[in-house]
Amino acid sequence: MVETLFEDIFTVTQKDPDGKKFDRVNRIEARSEQFDMYMLLDVNTEIYPMRVKEKFMMVLASTLNLDGTPDTGYFIQGNKKSLADKFEYIMHGKLYRISEEGSGKHVKADIFVSFGGLLMQLRGDPSIAAKFELDQKLFLLLRKV
Amino acid sequence: MKRTQEIIQFTKEPYIEDVGPRKIKSIQFSLFSEVEILKLGEVEVYRGVYYDSTKKPIPNGLLDPRMGPPNKNGGCETCHGNFRECPGHYGYLVLTLPVYNVGYLGTVVDLLKCICKCCSSILLDDKERRVFLKKMRNPRTEPLMKSELQKKVVKKCTSMTSGQKSVTCSKCGYMNGMVKKGQLKIIHERGNRFLDEFNAAISHKIDLKTSVSVPPEIDPKAVYSLFKNMSDEDCELLYLSDRPEKLLVTSIPVPPIAIRPSVFVDGGTQSNENDITERLKRIIQENARLLEDISDTSFQNKSLNAWVGLQMEVAQYINSDVRGVPLHLQASKPMSGFTQRLKGKQGRFRGNLSGKRVEYTGRTVISPDPNLKITEVAIPILMARILTYPERVSQHNIEKLRQCVRNGPNKYPGAKFIKHPDGTEISLMFSSRKRHADELKFGYIVDRHLEDGDIVLFNRQPSLHRMSIMSHRARIMPWRTLRFNESVCNPYNADFDGDEMNMHVPQTEEARTEALMLMGVQNNLCTPKSGEILVASTQDFLTSSFLITRKDTFYDRASFSLICSYMGDGMDPIDLPTPALIKPVELWTGKQLFGVLLRPYSKMRVYVNLTVTEKSYSGKGETMCPSDGFVYFRNSELISGQLGKATLGNGNKDGLYSVLLRDYKSHAAATCMNRLAKLSARWIGNHGFSIGIDDVTPGENLVKQKQEEIYQNYKKCEDRIQQFNEGKLAVQPGCDAAQTLEAEVTMALNKVRDDIGKICMKALHWRNSPLIMSQCGSKGSPINISQMIACVGQQSVGGRRAPDGFIDRSLPHFPTKSKFPAAKGFVAHSFFDGLSATEFFFHTMGGREGLVDTAVKTADTGYMSRRLMKALEDLAVYYDNTVRNASASIIQFMYGDDGMDPSQMEEKKGRPLNFSRLFMKVKATCPPRGEKGLSYSEICEIVNERLSYHDMSPEGGCSEAFRASLSDFLIKNLAETLKRLREALLLGEEQYAGGDREYLENVALNISGITKKQLQVFLNMCISRYHLKRLESGTAIGAIGAQSIGEPGTQMTLKTFHFAGVASMNVTLGVPRIKEIINAAKKINTPIITAKLLSAANLTAARMIKARIEKTLLGQVAKSVKIVMASRLASIAITLDMETIQVSQLCIDAYTVKQSILQTPKIKLKEQQVKVLNPRKLEVFPQANKDKLHFELHRLKNKLPAVVVKGITTVQRAVVNKEQERDRKSDAKGETYELLVEGTGLLAVMGIDGVDGRNTKSNHIMEVQQRLGIEAARISIIDEINYTMSSHGMTIDLRHMMLLADLMTYKGEVLGITRHGVQKMKDSVLMLASFEKTTDHLFSASVNGRDDKIEGVSECIIMGIPMQIGTGMFKLRQCVQQVELNYQSEPMLS
Repeated sequence: MVETLFEDIFTVTQKDPDGKKFDRVNRIEARSEQFDMYMLLDVNTEIYPMRVKEKFMMVLASTLNLDGTPDTGYFIQGNKKSLADKFEYIMHGKLYRISEEGSGKHVKADIFVSFGGLLMQLRGDPSIAAKFELDQKLFLLLRKV
Repeated sequence: MKRTQEIIQFTKEPYIEDVGPRKIKSIQFSLFSEVEILKLGEVEVYRGVYYDSTKKPIPNGLLDPRMGPPNKNGGCETCHGNFRECPGHYGYLVLTLPVYNVGYLGTVVDLLKCICKCCSSILLDDKERRVFLKKMRNPRTEPLMKSELQKKVVKKCTSMTSGQKSVTCSKCGYMNGMVKKGQLKIIHERGNRFLDEFNAAISHKIDLKTSVSVPPEIDPKAVYSLFKNMSDEDCELLYLSDRPEKLLVTSIPVPPIAIRPSVFVDGGTQSNENDITERLKRIIQENARLLEDISDTSFQNKSLNAWVGLQMEVAQYINSDVRGVPLHLQASKPMSGFTQRLKGKQGRFRGNLSGKRVEYTGRTVISPDPNLKITEVAIPILMARILTYPERVSQHNIEKLRQCVRNGPNKYPGAKFIKHPDGTEISLMFSSRKRHADELKFGYIVDRHLEDGDIVLFNRQPSLHRMSIMSHRARIMPWRTLRFNESVCNPYNADFDGDEMNMHVPQTEEARTEALMLMGVQNNLCTPKSGEILVASTQDFLTSSFLITRKDTFYDRASFSLICSYMGDGMDPIDLPTPALIKPVELWTGKQLFGVLLRPYSKMRVYVNLTVTEKSYSGKGETMCPSDGFVYFRNSELISGQLGKATLGNGNKDGLYSVLLRDYKSHAAATCMNRLAKLSARWIGNHGFSIGIDDVTPGENLVKQKQEEIYQNYKKCEDRIQQFNEGKLAVQPGCDAAQTLEAEVTMALNKVRDDIGKICMKALHWRNSPLIMSQCGSKGSPINISQMIACVGQQSVGGRRAPDGFIDRSLPHFPTKSKFPAAKGFVAHSFFDGLSATEFFFHTMGGREGLVDTAVKTADTGYMSRRLMKALEDLAVYYDNTVRNASASIIQFMYGDDGMDPSQMEEKKGRPLNFSRLFMKVKATCPPRGEKGLSYSEICEIVNERLSYHDMSPEGGCSEAFRASLSDFLIKNLAETLKRLREALLLGEEQYAGGDREYLENVALNISGITKKQLQVFLNMCISRYHLKRLESGTAIGAIGAQSIGEPGTQMTLKTFHFAGVASMNVTLGVPRIKEIINAAKKINTPIITAKLLSAANLTAARMIKARIEKTLLGQVAKSVKIVMASRLASIAITLDMETIQVSQLCIDAYTVKQSILQTPKIKLKEQQVKVLNPRKLEVFPQANKDKLHFELHRLKNKLPAVVVKGITTVQRAVVNKEQERDRKSDAKGETYELLVEGTGLLAVMGIDGVDGRNTKSNHIMEVQQRLGIEAARISIIDEINYTMSSHGMTIDLRHMMLLADLMTYKGEVLGITRHGVQKMKDSVLMLASFEKTTDHLFSASVNGRDDKIEGVSECIIMGIPMQIGTGMFKLRQCVQQVELNYQSEPMLS
């Protein structure tokens, strides 16, 4: 089984916290169960509708290959078996920023990823941030549970 | 065998500095003597006729063929040359009696003032004379000082004879009176003493019937003989380089026919003579009349008339505008004289010598074409067939040129002429082209039609800055307009509403290269005004980029690939990125398209890193901004943000193109612009973007809200008006009730428009076209939208609400004295609704003001630019880094204190580098790759080591400021942030080698750590880039500075006044203020002194000082001023109101009041007339006769209250200004006060107790110079220009203002950029003549025998010599070793 960078189940707590700005894209606010993460994520709701209180599983991986070989950076179409088969909604993007919030015991790390302009902010314990690196290519995989 | 060295042949001989022994080094101005004129003349002209009956010129007439060929057919009888060869010859005309030359009349009068009108010796006594002479003979005295000295001598001599005084000549005892200039005559009033003596002498003659009066006039003949008698020493003293008698006209050189051509009209039956010829004819006639009168001995009085007539004619020959010509002597039609030929915009100097008409040019209407590159211009075939370029035939182009020759001049691509190396020229119009094509040899020159890739100069008037003329590459296209990429509209300030533009074709390889390198569009993307980008995307390009990068634009594989192929015409290799959405469907976002645009394929190594906040940025969350207004590019991928004007448009320093330009040079920026232009033009063509009536139709909700808003504010205004009418309105400080009302009503009404605008913007759908345009910044503002949809708003005229054009009302539709919004020009309707009749009228009032202002402003700023240019044109940076003018006087030791090129400055405030952006780039482009982060101490160590290298020292060419800022950035900002972060993460100062905290190390490095490699790359990049930004030697930085200050002037809007924070404290701004500063005006509109206080936080102290500064009148502090009539004497009793004085802490009592009264002029009271009774009471006794006593009493009673008892008389008023203390941590209150003093009197204000004199400033530059000195004046000029420009939202590099200020002050006094100031700055006569007062300068130059070295820009242009600036400054030539070529047949075997 491929090793993922992050895996958790989230619950949508709010939709468009700052008001609706775009027709096809909504920003969802979600909290995770396992690591108590806070997440803001832009989702193309036209093709993958999401509602408040819905639960979904989110996986962040650096490759879709099941054997764990790194992603080439070139996108090849095909019917090869991959991690993608188990998920409903997959985005590809780049980690562009890691920052910290607060200090001392309450310090939180933020991870920012842009999926071609659809943004994700993942906030949680710094130990999670340690796995990530700047400019890392990431796949975001969603599946409703 | 060795062949003789062949001289390399150029297509057109390049300019070679040293053309043989002849080069104009200087021009000597001097006077013509009679002898010289006679020698010069080939023929005496004494017959005032032109042709005889057979239409042949009459000998000795004005058109005598000995003075040159009269037309193309005739020849010259002197040199026998034809019309083209003969330059013409002079004739001469001898006058019967000498007359004055109008140009020298002033000088003649000055001379006469200084000499004895009998023995011609100077009137000064011997000692004075010698002192002046010594000064005048000092070889170090400059011409300017000499003329000052001469003026002093004249003044001294004049003062001796001023009034009715007369002075006796020390040599001959002649009585000299005052000399005055009459109307073309000189009057000598010999004073009362002389007249008395004269009358006394006359009275002995008994037989005299009538009183004899001495004619006060000196005639030119007498002047002539007086001047002839003058000694050479006296001439020298009076700064004459030559004999003074030459100042009078005794004979006239008749100019050659070539400069006064005679034109035949009506097929040769009649001739039209030049004005000069006609003037000469009149002179000859008058001269003949005078001669007749003189030779006729019968009566002598009549001769005077003809003499006057001759004087008038000669005067008008030189200057036809001369005053004092009686009507009957004036010609029936206005004829110009020589002065008129020279002066003015169309005159010889400005019209023909400084600006010449040229060949190889074209002009037509322009239109846009986004498919062209930004460096290209499309030229119609019609034009390309006429314009040619001389191309030398060589191996590489012979076939092409043969084809051109075959095609001939009428078929494109063709050629017009062939030039052989021996100089013969063959026109291809008629001759057999085929033969010529076959005979074409290497070395021939073919004037071929313009073809693709040729270099042309492209220009649009007004050419306000150097980007108004740039070099493009030609693209020959069908149709009839000149076309170019819309991105280049900005530098030319062009639009396509019918604008025309000019085009020039450089004719030599040298010129082409220089044009391409220096004037190429690619090399002028930035303006040197501030370093902002000027060539950038506009209008539709912004709109489509905005729409493409919207968060919810998605494309499937087909459309994404299609759009990708738009940007490079499908010819570029493109790597398709991984789609942002992989499942459930493959979708790419619009933002990914921009990644492709910046870096189409992975081999292209362009990594753009930047952050910009767009207009729509909500101000929080950076990239997570909900409205997507934070643009972030990371390694050429668009991470977030919707692109708009801030990123892609002009006028910013950290937009996309600026970053590309700085990091990856101009080519990268230019190709990116090309790609975007193509992409967006095609994309928007498919997408569609238009505006319709439904875009401006307000919704129901909006209408309701608008009505509610208007109702609310109308009510508020009515309340205020009601209060005002009842006199209950609370007055604002510094205003009266009417002003307060006006201010409050205006504020309320402006709020209406703004609020409605906001509601309107919120209510519109995001697809609304005007909304999109205003959001992305391509066109229009929120106000424009709300005017269309909701409410047009208040119309203003002259910064106020509509004025009263009728009695007490603006229009007769309203009741008188109405102050209601609608009656004063508030337009409540929108353009969609339509305006009511009165609203419409108010709207036109506002509109007209705008139009008038634009018209007036253009003329004003144009003249300002011209003056600036003339003053600064010759300043350039020399090889020793100094800025000097043409005569090599130093203006600045180092340009702008650091010698940096303003156009290369990356930081907003004009500093060379934007460190934080560069740092971000370094961190993004060199990832750590497993390297460890540095600790605080390590960073300091590396930085300090690098900063100690040679290239960071002042000797290595690095300014102290840059060094300090770099180390500040790294150590203070960067290292400290890192320290704080490590503390936050509970990490220690130093690194842990391992353990559980290692992951935290990694996090810290990712957040804000830096590795050794990164730091080194950053330091080296900063330093090497800094050194590349040095200004090149030879740069005409003066001209650039003049343009940088002149050009923004044209953009300044009509807002000339502006509130400076405090109620009703106006400061002149805009063009008028810039004019004041540049002119170094003695009297400015709104002088304001900003006085800092010693105890700045204390409001009461501030009020006290204010009371001391403001002038207090006696009437204000007096309880009563009463007339007291006692039985014996009457007096005026003044009682002081001590309470008021105490309250305002003025320290006044009766004693000080007495002093004040005595010091007041005009009141004319003596010490004993004012009597102090006690400290609060005093009495004034008038001194007059009994009959006048009553009037005197009342006069005093009226005058006394106006006596200033305290304060500064020149001050109008003072206002206490509260200013928020920004970041001084120690001051807890955070509020300080300062005084703004309206008026002059800086010295007095500084002297007041409690004012911090060291920090007190004035905006009156001349006063600052007088009080604080020239350095203070310089700073003040810089600050004031900077303040004025920045309050109009214009950023100009400080270096330009510094240069201007330095130029204005480098002579030790503040010189304005006016004709008087420029005269003192420049030595060159030709330059001054081409500026203003053309003939005055020429006349005085010839009197003083000035020598003009041709070194400045104007002089060089006039003389046709390349100027010593820019590429012309370099005078070193390299001796290249000759390469020995061995020409022989190749060996058969080797």
